[in-house]
Amino acid sequence: MLWAFWLAFTSYDMVRSPRFVGLENFVSLSRDPIFTQALANTLVYIAGSTAVILAVALALALAINTRTRGARYCLSGIFLSNIMPIIAVCLVWRFLFHPHGLVNQLLSPFGFGRIDWLTSESLAMPAIIGVTVWRFAPYFMVIFLAALVNIPGEFYEAAAIDGASGLRRFRYITLPLLYPVMFFVVVVSALLCARIFLMPYIITGGGPGGATRVLSMLIYETGFSYMKMGRAAAISVVLFAIAMVFTLLQMRLFMRGEED
Amino acid sequence: MPSRRRRGLEGAWLGLLPLAGLTMLFLLPVIWMVTTSFQAGEKMFQLTTEWIPSVWHPENYPNALSRAKFPLYFFNSFVVSGLVMAGNLIFCTLAGYGLAKYRFPGDRFLLLVILSTLMLPLEVTLVPTFLIVHKFDWLNTYQGIAGPLLIDAFGVFLMRQFMLKIPSDYLEAARIDGAGELRILTRIIIPQCKPALAVLAIFAFRDSWDQFLWPLAIVSRDELRTYPLGLVRFGEDYGNPPTEQMAIAVLATIPVFLLFVILQRGLRSGFGLSGLKG
Repeated sequence: MLWAFWLAFTSYDMVRSPRFVGLENFVSLSRDPIFTQALANTLVYIAGSTAVILAVALALALAINTRTRGARYCLSGIFLSNIMPIIAVCLVWRFLFHPHGLVNQLLSPFGFGRIDWLTSESLAMPAIIGVTVWRFAPYFMVIFLAALVNIPGEFYEAAAIDGASGLRRFRYITLPLLYPVMFFVVVVSALLCARIFLMPYIITGGGPGGATRVLSMLIYETGFSYMKMGRAAAISVVLFAIAMVFTLLQMRLFMRGEED
Repeated sequence: MPSRRRRGLEGAWLGLLPLAGLTMLFLLPVIWMVTTSFQAGEKMFQLTTEWIPSVWHPENYPNALSRAKFPLYFFNSFVVSGLVMAGNLIFCTLAGYGLAKYRFPGDRFLLLVILSTLMLPLEVTLVPTFLIVHKFDWLNTYQGIAGPLLIDAFGVFLMRQFMLKIPSDYLEAARIDGAGELRILTRIIIPQCKPALAVLAIFAFRDSWDQFLWPLAIVSRDELRTYPLGLVRFGEDYGNPPTEQMAIAVLATIPVFLLFVILQRGLRSGFGLSGLKG
């Protein structure tokens, strides 16, 4: 790991030995529009996916938490999307987003025309975020469910006796008790999204015009297609910094669970 | 009374309708994958999807398997994922045991160091890990593909948390009876950790089965490609119909699916979901 930091200050092509170049990699990165775009894409992707995952996972968990047999079948059905290999997920969704694909077929009754999702600069990223949510929300749904099951039923009974409506019970009992879990979900899902590679790589190839190129793709291209290991290491340091923020938050979570 | 009860039941089913709709939304792509894998190639991009193929084409499967070395690619994936699963079961258990049941100066610091380094995903440490594996001369080898994945922070943490719940008195009693550490681990700790081990096994296998970027970086020889690499190359050739790509995708889903079905019970208690049993 320390070696990676040192490499970030060198120029290394795997043939000649690394040559120290100081901050040059970082300076040239900060002036590189491709890098700044990839950085912005990564941040937008992390924020967008995490927010939607949080909302969808919570909604699904609340809908399933009815303790009927039907709900259990639904749970298994929904969780299938988390079992499919990611590569299969990517290939399937690439076809579904095709202009003649299933997504447009399902939207057409609502008056949408033929939308070209993956070649539109403004729609490609939302499409990738959609696939991410489809893939990962079921996993976090299970985490929410585990938390919901642990809320004692007496809380709701007491509230019902006091005449609290369903919405108020959700607002004043369920939600506050779920805050720690929500925090956990946000941190884990952000860390998960920071490392995303395959989805943009397969579904859009980083296009159109770099609109979906994220940092992990840029690391791979720089290091393994252009053999600029020093520069790739410098980009890794940036991604590392982003991942580290969430890792530290996660450590604090784990450790706090400890002291209780 | 019977009529009232029936209305209650109907109400419950009606309440499930929105949930059923949501479930369909999540299931549709999976169903699409399966039907497309049996579909005729030219029907792929019709304006309406034919959910049940008018003519079934099971030959998509043997065709796909014979067009590229998919049996070999799948074999490679099985070898690597098997190694990774075994490695995680062994190393995460050992590390978890050490961190949960031994008190020594700096144990907390060690836990922090282990977790924070292991938690960094391979995508972040791609360049240094690649250079290390390159130094070992492990490019294009099974141990190179599996090596960096053999232990995982979540696994260590999961095992540790689970073992903390086992009363230390058991271990003390066993020690007084003269049981060695290894015996304690295999006879007392491991039998009580089954749900955690089920969760660990399944996620280690799935994550390694999914692994793409790492093998892409270190494998250049065709004989060592794992199936995701093979599948992407297969898709890049224009001669290969999407229906056959879907056939491979279905085949790739089966092992993970089976593992989930087999370990489902352990998984449920591992997740703390036992209260959900309808």
